[in-house]
Amino acid sequence: MDKAETLDASNSLADKIATKNASTNSLDTADSKSSSIGSKQGVDVGAARDTPFVYLDGEEDQDLKNDVTYVCPFRGPAFGALTITNYRLYFRSLRDHDPPVVVDVPLGVIARVEKIGGATSRGENSYGIEIFCKDMRNLRFAHKQQNHSRRTVFEKLQSYAFPLSFSGRLFAFAHAAASGPSPSPAENGWAVYEPLAELRRMGVPNDMWRITKLNEAYSVCDSYPVVWAVPKAASDEFLRRVAQFRSRCRLPVLSWIHPRSQATITRCSQPLVGVGGKRSADDELYLSYIMEANVQSDKLAIIDARPSANAIANKAKGGGYESEEAYKNVEIHFLDIHNIHVMRESLRKVKEACYPTIDDSKWLSAIDGTLWLKHIKCILAGAVRIVDKVETMSTSVVVHCSDGWDRTAQLTALSMLLLDPYYRTLRGFEVLIEKEWLSFGHKFQQRIGHGDNRHSDADRSPVFLQFIDCVWQVSQQFPNAFEFNEHFLITIIDHLYSCRFGTFLYNTEAERVAEDLKHKTVSLWTYINGSLNQYLNPLAFSHGAQTVLRPIASMRYVKLWKGLYCRWNPSIRPQNRIYHRTRELLALQDQLIKQVSDLRMKTSSRQTAQTSTRLASPMH
Amino acid sequence: MASISDRKRNTFLSYVAPSPGDIPRQEGSDDWLPTELRDLHLAKPRLLPNELVVASAPAYLFSAILPAPTEGSELDMSRQAIFGLLSVTNFKMAFVPLQRHKQETPPQESYQEHLYLQRNDVTLNNIDYVYQLAEGGRVSVSALSGGNRRKKLDAQQKVMSSRITALHIICKNFRLLKFAFQNSRSGPDYGKLIASALARFAYPSRHDLSFAYCYREPYYSMLGKSSVTMYSTKNDWARELIRCGSNEWQVVSADSVPQLQNVLQAPKYTLPPHFVIPKCCTVERFLDLSRAFYDSRAAFWVYGYGNASLVRLAELKPAMQQDTKVENVTLELVRKCDPRHALKLLQLTDRLPSIQDVQRAYLKFRRLCTPESPQEFLVQDSKFLSNVEKSNWLFYVSLCLRYSCEAAESLRSGTTCVLQETNGRDLCCIISSLTQIILDPLFRTIDGFQSLVQKEWVSLEHPFQTRLGHVRGDAAEEDESPVFLLFLDSVWQLLQQFPDEFEYSQTYLTTLWDSCFLPIFDTFQFDTEADRARAVNFGNLVLRPVWDWGEQFAEKDKVFFTNPFYQRQRQEQQNRRSVAIPAGAVMLPGLAQISSIKQGQQQRFTTINPQLFVTSSTIPKDRFLEPQHRMVDLAIWEQCYYRWMPILEIKHGGFPQIDLNHRLLLSNIAKLQRCLELQDFEDLPDIYYERTCEKRPLIDNTTRRRNSIEMIDGVERRRKSSLPATLNGFNSSKLLPEISSFFPFSINTGESEQLIDILTNSNEFLLEGSFMERLSIA
Repeated sequence: MDKAETLDASNSLADKIATKNASTNSLDTADSKSSSIGSKQGVDVGAARDTPFVYLDGEEDQDLKNDVTYVCPFRGPAFGALTITNYRLYFRSLRDHDPPVVVDVPLGVIARVEKIGGATSRGENSYGIEIFCKDMRNLRFAHKQQNHSRRTVFEKLQSYAFPLSFSGRLFAFAHAAASGPSPSPAENGWAVYEPLAELRRMGVPNDMWRITKLNEAYSVCDSYPVVWAVPKAASDEFLRRVAQFRSRCRLPVLSWIHPRSQATITRCSQPLVGVGGKRSADDELYLSYIMEANVQSDKLAIIDARPSANAIANKAKGGGYESEEAYKNVEIHFLDIHNIHVMRESLRKVKEACYPTIDDSKWLSAIDGTLWLKHIKCILAGAVRIVDKVETMSTSVVVHCSDGWDRTAQLTALSMLLLDPYYRTLRGFEVLIEKEWLSFGHKFQQRIGHGDNRHSDADRSPVFLQFIDCVWQVSQQFPNAFEFNEHFLITIIDHLYSCRFGTFLYNTEAERVAEDLKHKTVSLWTYINGSLNQYLNPLAFSHGAQTVLRPIASMRYVKLWKGLYCRWNPSIRPQNRIYHRTRELLALQDQLIKQVSDLRMKTSSRQTAQTSTRLASPMH
Repeated sequence: MASISDRKRNTFLSYVAPSPGDIPRQEGSDDWLPTELRDLHLAKPRLLPNELVVASAPAYLFSAILPAPTEGSELDMSRQAIFGLLSVTNFKMAFVPLQRHKQETPPQESYQEHLYLQRNDVTLNNIDYVYQLAEGGRVSVSALSGGNRRKKLDAQQKVMSSRITALHIICKNFRLLKFAFQNSRSGPDYGKLIASALARFAYPSRHDLSFAYCYREPYYSMLGKSSVTMYSTKNDWARELIRCGSNEWQVVSADSVPQLQNVLQAPKYTLPPHFVIPKCCTVERFLDLSRAFYDSRAAFWVYGYGNASLVRLAELKPAMQQDTKVENVTLELVRKCDPRHALKLLQLTDRLPSIQDVQRAYLKFRRLCTPESPQEFLVQDSKFLSNVEKSNWLFYVSLCLRYSCEAAESLRSGTTCVLQETNGRDLCCIISSLTQIILDPLFRTIDGFQSLVQKEWVSLEHPFQTRLGHVRGDAAEEDESPVFLLFLDSVWQLLQQFPDEFEYSQTYLTTLWDSCFLPIFDTFQFDTEADRARAVNFGNLVLRPVWDWGEQFAEKDKVFFTNPFYQRQRQEQQNRRSVAIPAGAVMLPGLAQISSIKQGQQQRFTTINPQLFVTSSTIPKDRFLEPQHRMVDLAIWEQCYYRWMPILEIKHGGFPQIDLNHRLLLSNIAKLQRCLELQDFEDLPDIYYERTCEKRPLIDNTTRRRNSIEMIDGVERRRKSSLPATLNGFNSSKLLPEISSFFPFSINTGESEQLIDILTNSNEFLLEGSFMERLSIA
C-alpha cells in the first residue's frame, strides 16, 4: 500500500541522489509497482528535512489543511494533513497508520473534482471532495462541515488542476523558469530527436526519396512537421496539390524505410472521396510514385485502420477510402480498429473492474467484458500485418485512418518498433515517440485534456496509453528484446498527465514551436536520461539475433497490464523477483570481470618484469 | 498474426488427404511418390523389445491447427500435411514421416528428445479421445457438431461403420494429432484399420494388459547418488519424523501388524504398507477406529512444523455417519499429540471441487487448448478469458492454493491441521503437498519434491491408475480425474510467484505430467502399493521409478529441469535482498563448499536411530512462502497447455529467453570464477573481452572443441560437423541460440555449440550451489 502510495516528488535533489546511488539502489527504485512520480530517495530526504515531501523547482504551497480525512479504499479512513501546491496534492496521515498513508498526486492527473455531501449530510466522512484521476484511481477526502475547510481546497484544486480553464499556465512553465539554465545539448531531452539525423540513419535522402521543407511555415499542413521525406518523383508544387485531396492536408509522408528492400511505411489521412466518389489524378499518381520507389514489389498495400463500415460511413462526411478501381495496383485492407470513443469507453470499464476493488470470482470475464484486450489485440494484429507486408512481402504500405493522427500513429509506431531494433533501445523509443506521435500531430492536448476541466470532452481518449500498452504486450512476449523496462513505460504514462514536462503539451509541432516549449519547459527525456539506470532492462540482450519481432496477436497471450492498471491496489504484488536476481548476477559478473582484469594486469606486468619473451607465447 | 483476426478469409479446409498428384513433385525424382506402399518400408517405427506392431497404414499428419498461411497463398494441403507411416503398437501410436530427401525437410524433432518416443509418437496411455471423421468425399472440419460425420471412439470400442477419412486423437497431455487417410474407394480402409487397432489397444480393460508387463528390460538404478526418499520403508518415515521433530507419533508397518497379515482379517483394511499414527494410540485401537473410515484412512501423520502436525484423514463410511463418536475419538488422539492440544479441522470435501468437477473443468479447459480447426481457435479466442473462467480450471487451482495457505498458516501458528476428505487420497494429496512446499524449502528442491510426491502421492496411495485412466473399464471414466495435474499447475503458480525459491523448472513439471503416461515407469501406474506389489510378484513387472530421469532423457535435456533463478540458501532477511556485493568478497570455493556439503548432509543423511528421536526439527522456520491465490494473481501455464499449438509459438520469444539469458549469465560467472581460482585465463567468457576490450588470444579451435567435449558427457554425439561461424568474421558465439517460446518442446531449429557451453557451465554453477551464497558466508 504505502509503496504504491508513498509517492513523493522526484526533484532535482532526489534525482541527484538517485543518480549517485543508482548502482546500489536501482534495485529498489526500479520497483515496477511504485509510481515513477516519486522515488524512495525522495521520501528519505523529505523525512530527514522534516518536510512532507521535496518541492520541485517552482513549486509553491497554495493551501494546507490539517484536519482532513482521506477515505482510503484499502486501509480505511486516515486522518491527516493535506497540502496543495501549484503542482501536487499531498496527503499524509498523522496517526493511526504505520506506515503512514501517503497520497501524492500531480494535479495534472486530476480529471474531475466534485463536492460530495452538503451542510446537512450526516454520517462519518460523508462531506468532502471526490477526485477522479486520469491514472485509474479516485480519491476521496472528508472534511468537517463546521470549519469550512472544503471550500478553499476545492477552489485551489480547481484553479491549479485546470489552469487553462481559469486563465492560468501549466506547471511545466513555472517549473522550467525556476529550474535555472537549460541543460547542455548532450543532456537536453529536446535534442533527442533530430528529424534530419533520424532520416539519415535510415539512409534518406537516397535515389528514390528526398527531403523537403515545403512545410517550413506549417502552411501546407498545420499538423505535420516541417521536415518530410517524400518520393523523389514528386515536386513541391505537386505535393501541394496532393495535400488538397487528403483530409486536413495530411498527405502521405515517409515514416520508415526498410534498410535492404527499400519497402516503406508511409502515413497519411483519408482521401476526400466523399459520396460522389471524387478522384484525384494527383493523389493516384502520388501513390504510384510511392509504389515505384520500391522496386521489389509491383503492389502497394493501403492499410486502413478502421472497420470497413466506418470507412464507408466517412464518405458521407466527405472522406472515405481509396477504391481499388481508381488506384492502380493497390490493395486495401481494413483492420477493424475502433475509434477513440469506443476506446475511451473500454478503458472506463477497465477502471471499473480494477478500482478500487476487484471481484475475484468474476475477474476474467470482467476483463473480457471491457473489450480492452480485444482492442489491444486488434492493434497488435494490425501492426504484425504491416510487418508481414514490409518484411516478408517487401511491399510498401500506406497507413491511414480518418485523420491519421490516432490509430495511424499507433500502427506506424508499433510496426516500426517491431521492424527496427533501434526503436527498442531507450533513446530510440524516445525518438519514435517524438517522431510518430509528437511531430506528426497526435493531439495530446485534446486527448488528455491537460489543465482543462471539461472532463467529459468527447475528444479525450487513451490512444497513446493504448500504444504504450501494446509495447508492453510485445515486451512480455519478447522479454529480452527491449533495452528499457516496464518502469520506463510507466514513467512515460505518469508524465503524460503530470504536466511537469513540456513533452506532451499542445497538439502539434506548430503549436509547440509557437510556444517555444524547447526553451520554456523541460523535456521528459532530459529527466529520464538523467537517471538512465533505473529504466534499463537487465534482461536486454544487445546481441539478440532477432531484428524483426512477430508477436502473436491472440487473446491467449494478450494480458491485462496489472502493473499499470491495478497498481494502486496494494494486494497486487509486482512480479519482479527475476528482475532483481538478474541485476544481482550482472553486478557479480561485472565485479568478477574487474577482478580478472586486475589480476591479469598484475600478472602480465610481473611477467614483463621477469621475462619479456613469455608474453609473446599464448597463455595456457 | 493478421490471419487470426481475419475471419473473412476462406479458411475452409477439406479433410481429404491430398491425392498424389497434389504433392509438388521434386525435380528429377518422380519415382518416390507414395501411390503404392512401395517406399513405406523405409518408414519403420522404432520398436522397444517386446513391442509389437498391431496395425500400420499410410497416413497424412496434419498440423494441430495450421499456422498462419502467408498472405495471398492458398491453403496448400500438401504443404501442411506430412506423409508417412502410422502404426499402432502395444505401447504407442507412432507416426514416421516418409521423406525422400532428408536434408530438404525441416527438422521434425523437438529439442527435448525422449529416449522412448519420437516427436510424433504418443503412448497409448496418453490417448484420451479418438474422433473418427467419415464420409466419402469432403468433410469440413468446421462442422464440429458434425453429427454422424464425427464420432467419438471410446471404451465401448465402437468403430464407425462408414469409411473413415480422418482421425483426431486428443491426448491427456493436451496434444491433438490429426491424421487423414488416402481416399481411394477401391483401396483398403486404412482409417478403419487404425481405428479398430486403437479401439482394441488404447482402452485396456485390465491393468495387466499394459505394455509395462511386456517390457522386461532389466533396470539398473542410477538413483543411488540422489537422495529421493521413496517412503517404501519404515525408516524413510522415521527419518521424516526426526527431521520434523515430531515426537508424539510412531511409524507402523503393515507387515509387522499380525492383524494385517491374517488372511481373514487383512481384507477388512486397505492400509498402505507404512503409516504414521499417534504414539498415544495402540496399533490395535487404531485399526479398530480405522474401519469406520473410507479406505481405512484414519488420521495419518504426514508432516510436522514446530509442534504442529499435518494430518490426513478420510471421512466416515456412510454406515457409520450417524455415529460421529469414532471421528471425535480419532481427532482427540491427534489433539493429544499437539502440546497445546490445538487442532484445526479443514474439511476439504465442502471447500474443494469433487474429482468429477476437476475432470469436467479439465475437459473444458483442454478443449480450449486443443482446437481442431482455425475457426474453432478464433471462436474460442474471441471470448477467451470468459471461456477460461467458465472452465473453472483456474478457479480450482485458486482454491487449492487458498486452502493450502490456510493449512500452512495454521501450522505456522503452531496449530495442528487435519485435512479431511472423503477417501483422503485425492485432494488431500494436493493440499497436503502444497502446504509442505509452502512451508519447507526442502520440497522446493528436485530431490525434495520427488520425495514429497513419493510420500504424499505414491506411498499414501493416490489412485493414479484410475484417475489417469490407465485402465478403461465400463464405469472407469467416471472416476477419471487429473488430480495430479491440478497439483502440478498449483506448483507452477508458486514457481511463477517465487521463481528464485525453486530448484526445479517449469520444464520439469511439464515433463513430469508427460511421464504419467509412460507405462514403462511404475511410479504413476498403480492405485495402491498392494497392486504394485502384486504386479511385481505375479506379473513379473520391472519396477522403474520415473525419478531416474536418465532412463528417459540425455543430460542435455535434464539440464532444463533445473531452474536458473534458484538461490539455494538465500538469506531470509528482507533488507539484504538488494545489498550490493562488497568488493573482494569472492571466497575460495573449497572452504565454502565443505560447509555447504556439511549442511546438506545434516539434512539428508542423518543416521537413523529410532531410540534417539531428536526433540527439535531441523526445518528452517523462516523460509515459508506467502503465495497469492486469487484468480487475479494466477496465470495460464502456457508451456504445458499451449505447446502443441504451433500457431501460438513465439519465435525467438517467450520465457525461455529469460531462462537462457540467465544460464548464460551463470555460465559467464562460473567461467570467471574458475579463471580466478585456477589463475588460468584460457576459457574466459566472451563478455570479458567485450567489456575490457582486451584482445582475445587465438586459441586453436580443435583444442577448444576437444576440451569441451571432454567436459560434457553424453552430448558430443550431437555435435554438428561444422564449426561455429566465428571463422567468417561473424561472431556467432555472441548470439543467444535461437529458441522459441515452447523451448525445449519446440521443434529444434538447430542448436549451437554456444548453447551446450552455456548449459554445461551454468549447470555446474547450479549444482555446486550459488556463488552468491559463498559471498554471503564471507
